[in-house]
This record gives sequence, C-alpha cells and structure tokens, in this order.
Amino acid sequence: MSSPAAELHQMAAVGRLLAGVVHEINTPLGSIFSNNEVISRALEMLCPLLQQGTPEALESAGRLVSTCQTLASVDRIACERIRSVIQSLRSLSRLDAPEPLYVNLNQQLLDTVKLTNAQFRRRIAVETNLGELPEVRCYPQMLNQVFLNLLVNAGHAIEGEGTITIRTRLEGGLVHISISDTGRGMTPEVQARAFEPGFTTKAVGEGSGLGLSISREIVEEKHGGTIDFETRPGVGTTFHIRIPVEQKRSAP
Amino acid sequence: MIVDDEEMVISSIKAFLQLETDYHVQGFTDPEEASRFAEKQRVDVAVSDYLMPKMNGIQLLGRIKEKQPEASRVLLTGHADKQSAIQAINQVALFQYLEKPWDNAQLLLVIQSGAERARLFRDLKTKVNELDSANSSLKSVQKRLLEAFL
Repeated sequence: MSSPAAELHQMAAVGRLLAGVVHEINTPLGSIFSNNEVISRALEMLCPLLQQGTPEALESAGRLVSTCQTLASVDRIACERIRSVIQSLRSLSRLDAPEPLYVNLNQQLLDTVKLTNAQFRRRIAVETNLGELPEVRCYPQMLNQVFLNLLVNAGHAIEGEGTITIRTRLEGGLVHISISDTGRGMTPEVQARAFEPGFTTKAVGEGSGLGLSISREIVEEKHGGTIDFETRPGVGTTFHIRIPVEQKRSAP
Repeated sequence: MIVDDEEMVISSIKAFLQLETDYHVQGFTDPEEASRFAEKQRVDVAVSDYLMPKMNGIQLLGRIKEKQPEASRVLLTGHADKQSAIQAINQVALFQYLEKPWDNAQLLLVIQSGAERARLFRDLKTKVNELDSANSSLKSVQKRLLEAFL
C-alpha cells in the first residue's frame, strides 16, 4: 500500500473526487453570495419605503420582505447542502487508525456515494438496497477507498445514462457487498487482466490501472475477505466483496 | 430565461433580477421545457447551466440558437464541467461564459449587454426586411417604367 505508484493512484483519485466536491459546493455557494447581496440591497430599499408609509410604499415593502424570506429559506437549503458534503468528506478522510475500528459499512457506502454523486448525479442513478448489518471490525478508510474505486470504475463503464446498484447483506459471518453497473461489461481479455497492477482500459492520464489491484490487496490482505466479479459484455458488471465481521488475526 | 436543474440557482438569480431590473424572467429546471418555451416565446437572453439531466447546456443553447438566432446565449457552469464546456463553446457561438459561484454585478452586466445585443439584432432584421421590401417595390416600379416606355 505504501509503494509510490499506489500513493500516486490514491492522490489522483482524491484529486478527481475533490473536483466533484468543488462543483457540488460552488452551486450552493453561488446562491448564498447572490442572496446575501440581494437581501442587503432589499433592506437598503426598505427603510425609505417604511418612512414614506403610503399604501403603495407599504405594498412594495411587503414584496421586499417576502423576497427576503424566500431567499433566507434558499440560503438554509444551500447551507445544508454544503454541510452534508463536508460531513461525508470528513467521515471519509478520517485518519487511518492504527487499530481497526467497529463501523457500519452501510454508512461508509452511503458517504462514498454522496461524494461520487457530484460526478454522477445528472448522468447515473445510484440505487441502494442495504440490508441490516452488524458493525464490522475493519480499517474504514481503506474500505472507503475500495468502494470509491469500484464506484468510479462503474461510472466509467457506463456510457451516457445508466444505473449503479449497491446491495449489502449479512451471509453467516460475512458481510456481502455488491456493486453492479449497467455499463459496457468486460471482454474476456479485460477480465483476465482486471486485477493486474498497471492494467487499465481508461485513456492515458485518466486511470493508473492500480485501482483494482489495490482494492484486492485491501480486501484480501488487510481484511481477510474476498473480491471477485461477474460481467457480461454490453449488459454490465457486478463486483462482490465479502468481508468477515470479525477477522481472526485482529479478533479481541 | 434561466435554466438550471438546481432550483436554488433559479430562485437566487430571479430574485436578483427582479430587484434590479424590470426584465421578465422565466426559470426552468427542465431543459426540455425551456426548449419548448423558446419555440413559442421570444427569448432575448438564455442563461443555462452545463450539466443537467436529459440535455446539457450546450445542447440546449444549440436548440435555442436554431429557433431564435438573435437570443444571446450564456453558459453558467460549475468548475468541474469547465473543460468539456470550453470544447463545446464554438458549436453554439456563445455570447458569454460564466463560472459558479457567480458575481451578481458581472452577471447583470452580461445579461444587460446580451439583451441589448438581441434588441440590435432584431432591429437589424427588421431593417433588412424593410430594405428587401423597398427593393422589391423599386423593382416593380422599374419594371412598370420599362413597360411604359418600351
């Protein structure tokens, strides 16, 4: 995980993610700036109208007040949007604890989805079908990286509009997470090399070809789990991740 | 016309323009609805977001250009869309490109000059039509004159 190539891959993924986040924040921010100016201006106009006190002036004043009220509620929605983006960013960027933590993987998945939504929202629908899960002893930030890699790959596999479906369920002592896309699927040649470090189908500069090999290392080496996929060209791909609820080597 | 799939952007810009100008402002969250509107109603300035469901801003502005070439077309976009938007700008002869978060004073300036430009284009079109009809009546006078003398 600490090889320079792996670090570069992670930095590139974070960079793309941040570009999406910047966009997600800029829209509500634009609204807030604009509203703030309009409200100040409306308040400036309000004083002379109230001093005049004529029925016409009071009517205009009433309109200004209702504009301000509307904008105040728009501001509230905009602030909440920014807050929710920052919350998911914060939960995903928690420093890796040296010891594993107990977390709910459904929550981790939802936070990752929220961030990728900035890139996908208008093109790809993300559907979730999350079963009840116990808290899993794991390295959450590493698993988030796996989820992010798979979601970004799924998004790349879909040309135009499509759907990504995330399912979770408990199977015995394993948490089973599946991420399906309605994308182009993989040819037999790509399937054979999918987990190979440095292999990518993306354009130069778009993918490092390390996403899946790092993901496999995180799931198998760090969590004693498994990762595999099924794919049909032209129909889509599903990745399956299975993680033990308690890992032997780190069991208390 | 303001088109953005985010209702909050439309509310903010609409409130601003209503306070500062006497323009008639029409907002749409659905680009297809905006396109249908442009088939029937006069549009002087169309301000559109880039990334929207169903149709992106460049496609929408392209349709508006077909229906009303005089309308001034403005793209108001978030940072992440920048590259693809710049590539597409030439396709629709964009009047202006603005980024979010936008500055109201700059937006107002762009919309005012866009509206002025649309008005001048329409005036020009009327004048050209008038010239055309003057030209054809001149021709018919000339024809009658020739007929009278020959």
